[in-house]
Amino acid sequence: MNKPSKAKDPLGRGRGCSSYMYTMLSAAGVLSFLFLWQIALEAGLLSDRYVSRPTELIFLFFQKFSDTTPDGSTLPVAILASLKVSLTGLIVAIFTGIPLGMLMGWYKGIDKFVRPLFEVLRPIPPISWIPLTIVWLGIGLKAKAFIIFFAAFIPCVINSYTGIKLTSKTLINVAKTFGASNFTTFIRVGIPSAMPMAFAGIRVALGNAWSTLVAAEMLAATAGLGYMILMGRSFARPDIIMLGMIVIGALGALFTGVLNFFEKKVIKWRAAK
Amino acid sequence: MGKDRLNKQGAKVRLRISGLSKSYDVKNGILKAVDNINFEVYDNEFLVILGPGQCGKSVLLNMIAGLEEPTTGTIELDGKKINGSDPRIGMVFQKIALMPWKTVMQNTEIGPKFRGINKRTRREKAQMYIDLVGLNGFEDSYPSQLSGGMKQRVGIARAYANDPEILLMDEPFGALDAQTRYAMEEEVAKIWQKEKRTIIFVTNNIEEACYLGDRIILFSESPARIKELYVDDLPKPRDIVSQKFLELRTIISENTDLAI
Amino acid sequence: MTMKKKEHFGEVKKYTILDIVYRILPILSISCIFLLWIYVSADKPQLFPSLQATWERFIKLLEKPVMRVSYLGHISASLKRVCIALAVSWIIGISFGVLIGWNKKMDAFFGSIFSFIRPIPPIAWIPLITIWFGIGEFPKIVIVFIGAVMPVVVNTQAGLDSVEQMYLDVGTAFNTNKKQMLLEIAIPSALPSIFAGIRTSTSTAWMVVLAAEMLGAKSGIGFLVSRGMEGDDLPLVLVAMITIGVIGALLGVVTSFIERRLCPWERIG
Repeated sequence: MNKPSKAKDPLGRGRGCSSYMYTMLSAAGVLSFLFLWQIALEAGLLSDRYVSRPTELIFLFFQKFSDTTPDGSTLPVAILASLKVSLTGLIVAIFTGIPLGMLMGWYKGIDKFVRPLFEVLRPIPPISWIPLTIVWLGIGLKAKAFIIFFAAFIPCVINSYTGIKLTSKTLINVAKTFGASNFTTFIRVGIPSAMPMAFAGIRVALGNAWSTLVAAEMLAATAGLGYMILMGRSFARPDIIMLGMIVIGALGALFTGVLNFFEKKVIKWRAAK
Repeated sequence: MGKDRLNKQGAKVRLRISGLSKSYDVKNGILKAVDNINFEVYDNEFLVILGPGQCGKSVLLNMIAGLEEPTTGTIELDGKKINGSDPRIGMVFQKIALMPWKTVMQNTEIGPKFRGINKRTRREKAQMYIDLVGLNGFEDSYPSQLSGGMKQRVGIARAYANDPEILLMDEPFGALDAQTRYAMEEEVAKIWQKEKRTIIFVTNNIEEACYLGDRIILFSESPARIKELYVDDLPKPRDIVSQKFLELRTIISENTDLAI
Repeated sequence: MTMKKKEHFGEVKKYTILDIVYRILPILSISCIFLLWIYVSADKPQLFPSLQATWERFIKLLEKPVMRVSYLGHISASLKRVCIALAVSWIIGISFGVLIGWNKKMDAFFGSIFSFIRPIPPIAWIPLITIWFGIGEFPKIVIVFIGAVMPVVVNTQAGLDSVEQMYLDVGTAFNTNKKQMLLEIAIPSALPSIFAGIRTSTSTAWMVVLAAEMLGAKSGIGFLVSRGMEGDDLPLVLVAMITIGVIGALLGVVTSFIERRLCPWERIG
């Protein structure tokens, strides 16, 4: 008998399951949850006034493509409005925050100058800027995009700063022995090695931005997903609210997936690890 | 000194390895790590398993310690088959593996602690071995405050404190620099003189093998098979530049592709 | 004039011009901020309150309560909600995180639902929770809980998922049973991750409580912000924002302090 040994499970970690079993169990978990949810409503354990059935939500999803009640826009319009705002703020934040963070990490002068302003702004959550922003910029795209920008800017800066600071001294010395100037070393050694952390920062920024978007739309908007679920509350439509929440969550997860895809392309060398 | 029959007549056998093999399931077939190993370990001897890197000797030790399951073959301790990790078999790890969140004392006493022995008894025992390895005064230090050699001494104390009848040492000094390594080899020899145990010591260093071992089993490259057995009966402590020592070292190294 | 810096192998170093510049820069930066503040508030006082106005509003706030609650009362209202929600989220979050981080089958079954719920921002839960429970203390604590529990679970799971095999081998070699393996080896080795989750949950909780208060409350600092906004009382808004910043920073300090006490082996050496 020369069979390779099967994995035992002495630690109780449930590790002996294959990826097939894992997928099956995951599906089972989700399906049982949906099933229990539906049954609870059918059986009257949960009230229709507070929770909607999964089946209703699916129906509502398709209906909302043309239905503008109660928030005044169809689902695609609301999604577009939210995307417009969040992407504007996010992209500006990424393309200003990451370079700034990297420069701060590399050049002490820039760090010393910008740091105090940063440390003052950092502990104040972006959401609390909303009232002031409304006073300055009104209730429009600019105001909301500014708040999103603020929410996304900070993690971009912090993470790229940390990424640059963690550049291996050995690599810097290697560049020096090849006669590279400080600036060249920054471009050729610092920035590439800070990329993974920069992407981590973008990931956090994405989460923050999306989260802040919902808050901003609830406080100052006439369209968008956040506004939609706010209207759902005003009109006592839990189904609208739940649909909105699910779409918000799904889009957030989608963006993270897209980001991960981009990261793999840009940081090919990391995958080799 | 020199080559010998694989089994000694008349000595008390503690551990008997019979037909031991280990194969792994890999993407394109089966990888055999250990191939049909047979040998005996005698009471209170210092047995060295010597082999080139990656040859499978650690896998062999893991099987004896119960960390991995053999594909075929049996391991018998004092005549009875053992299955899985037996508390009578202790281990000193190559990567030292001290829990960084426990102090030296807490690390040393984990064997008795997991067996449910009361605090006072296990503290006394742990203290005895902390003193034995020369770390008196460091009981409340954390591993991050210790040097590599000191950490490994804790590893040895920890293994001893569990009162093992057989002690396995898996290349315990591989991660140390050369000078610390020499010092630790002397330490282990001294400790063994003071507290005799049956020890199975794995290494890839010929000099270390000759310095420490009573018997040296030479392993081939992967998959691990026994190539040869040597008996080293030079009086201890050994002089690594004595004529006889160098002779033994030369005999062994000629039989291997190992660099000295 | 030369000044001694450090004695380095017997050398005596002078301060360089660059060092002086570096010292001045932060001061320059802060003064710029203040100057900007004064200029903007003088130019358009309705857009940005002046330093003086803000200070006066702060004093007035200390004396006169808003909605029958004093300034400190608002602060403690917010903090109370945060603390209760955090405590519950740590207990539940760490337990759940251990469950799905340690056992892969549990992770498959329960973790799948969690990963669908996780992307929904805590603030998006506010309308639903409000429909369910109204505008009281309990719904606010629930919302903060939702926000705080996510990072705790995620980080705890990551910590338990990646316990080094080395430590588990030591446990096996020393004959631990399953309970000891989990409690004495796996969880302590995951503590750094668990604390990272706790740190994140604290700052998330602070943010979420403010949002919840801004969207419907009768007390709390978030309420002060929205009250100022409705009443065109910008100085109040600014005072509230500064308070938020200060307390947020303090919470971070306290959490770090607790962590250092509970994990004395970190940061040594």
